[in-house]
Amino acid sequence: MNNNKHKILIIEDELNICNFVKTILETNDYQVVTARNGAEGKTIGFSHNPDLIVLDLGLPDIDGCNLIQIFREKVGTPIIVLSARTNESDKVKALDLGANDYITKPFGTNELLARVRATLRNNRFAGIGDRQLRKKFTVQDMSIEYELRRVMIGKTEIKLTQTEYNILELLSVHAGRVLTYSEIIKKIWGYSDSGSIKKLQVNMANIRKKFGERPGEYRYILNELGIGYRMNAESEKEEQ
Amino acid sequence: MEKKYKKIADVVFTIAVLCLAFIISLFIQFYLGVDSLAPAVFMLAVFFISVCTEGIYYGIVASLAGVLIFNYAFRIPYFIFNLKIADNMVSAVIMLAMTSMSSFLASKLKQHEKMKAESEKEKMRANLLRAVSHDLRTPLTTIYGSGSAIVEKFDYMSKEQILQLAGGICEDAQWLTGMVENLLSITRIDNDGIKIKKTPIVLEELIDTVLMRFKKRYPNQNIFIDIPDDFVSIPMDAVLIEQVIVNILENAVQHAEGMTELKLKVFVVGSKAIFEITDNGCGIEKDLLPHIFSGYYERKDTPVDYQKRSMSIGLSVCASIIKAHDGSITAENRKEGGSCFRFSLDMETEENE
Repeated sequence: MNNNKHKILIIEDELNICNFVKTILETNDYQVVTARNGAEGKTIGFSHNPDLIVLDLGLPDIDGCNLIQIFREKVGTPIIVLSARTNESDKVKALDLGANDYITKPFGTNELLARVRATLRNNRFAGIGDRQLRKKFTVQDMSIEYELRRVMIGKTEIKLTQTEYNILELLSVHAGRVLTYSEIIKKIWGYSDSGSIKKLQVNMANIRKKFGERPGEYRYILNELGIGYRMNAESEKEEQ
Repeated sequence: MEKKYKKIADVVFTIAVLCLAFIISLFIQFYLGVDSLAPAVFMLAVFFISVCTEGIYYGIVASLAGVLIFNYAFRIPYFIFNLKIADNMVSAVIMLAMTSMSSFLASKLKQHEKMKAESEKEKMRANLLRAVSHDLRTPLTTIYGSGSAIVEKFDYMSKEQILQLAGGICEDAQWLTGMVENLLSITRIDNDGIKIKKTPIVLEELIDTVLMRFKKRYPNQNIFIDIPDDFVSIPMDAVLIEQVIVNILENAVQHAEGMTELKLKVFVVGSKAIFEITDNGCGIEKDLLPHIFSGYYERKDTPVDYQKRSMSIGLSVCASIIKAHDGSITAENRKEGGSCFRFSLDMETEENE
């Protein structure tokens, strides 16, 4: 039975934070390994082959972003970054380097578990990479049928423009993961200029309008203000 | 980048003022037939330049130029440099001395003002530090006390007791988090002269983020939202403005007794976006109103009946953030009861960063 548990590596130099993250994860049935600095983290990361890495950006020996690069050169293990609130640029950099998600310190139990669950689930599909195997995406009452390029909310079909659909599909394929503005722009338009972010934001506003969502109630696509967007991966059923 | 612009602007300003002085002197000489007024005009010009430019050099260069121009154009023989006549030489030296002195004085004055502002800032910082350290002590007492109680007496405590203590730890840690967010906001704008970095933020996304954060903390508080239907994008430091709105909303929840309706309205007037947060609670006490945005810094002695929610750092932080955005913020009591907080932000983007 033990082997079925997801193995999570925590790389964090603060003993107290490390302990409490470990406790939370262990009581939720994950297997946990810990590393107290970057070098140790690198060794364990490659030898233990964890399913997920929780990485603190402010390590004493190696810059967290460098560590992400080192991992990404060899393995696709999903990485969740722990970061302080003030450094959006750090967050964007970490995400662009290949981190899957970030959690801002201080954080609570629910937030941590939600991100861990979403990242693990998302990664099961990302490994396959082939959309054929995943014909349909569903979150709450919204569904996307990739072959038909059809978006439904409940029983109503939502008519989207080509670009709007592409954005939605991109986010859904990476559900649960924050995609930075520049990442989305690169994949949708292929190039970026000074007006790109605004173009993306206008499209997003239109998508939400078509979904009939009001600010404070965005359920499908979540904002990461000044950073990017994230498709919600927690469906209501699973939260219960 | 900005420094370079300032330099260019200073050079242009210096040249423009000198040209203007030259034209005016020419005018006076031509129409009134007197050339004795020219030194006065140039003196005035040099004084202007010293006051309006950075550093002492522009003033000195301008005074030198002024002397030369004066000698060249307004002394007999006209439009010829003549440094041989003793009369001309003496007047040139006197003029140079006077202009450079006035330029020196002006720069001294500016320095003094800068120092005064600096010491004011220092004083504010010291006050802030004192107030903050005091405010941090109470929640820390709870956290440390409860934590050590659980660690040492775990076996003697009932489950309920432990839960109660742990709950207290959570609650006070959350309050501390809010405090630290506010402090971080201050350090973010207080980075000596570095302007905050504005990026265009979509209004709906900002409001959505604020509401998400707010609902996590106060799940039972409804907020009525009224924002334009159009796509509105406002340049700002999103983290800071988010903090402003959350602080004002939080202030309403904690202080507006008897409140049944909390409303957040945003509208655009000309090139400004106006944010308005209104409640129908008890309003703000009259003698508190003038100090509502500066109270935290001004508080000298901490009141004996300490209440961590009495006068919080939140609104003072709001004022600092809005000021750093070159916006304005006001608070007033509504005629129909309750209070109204209003702040405005510029919609225009500064293209060159």
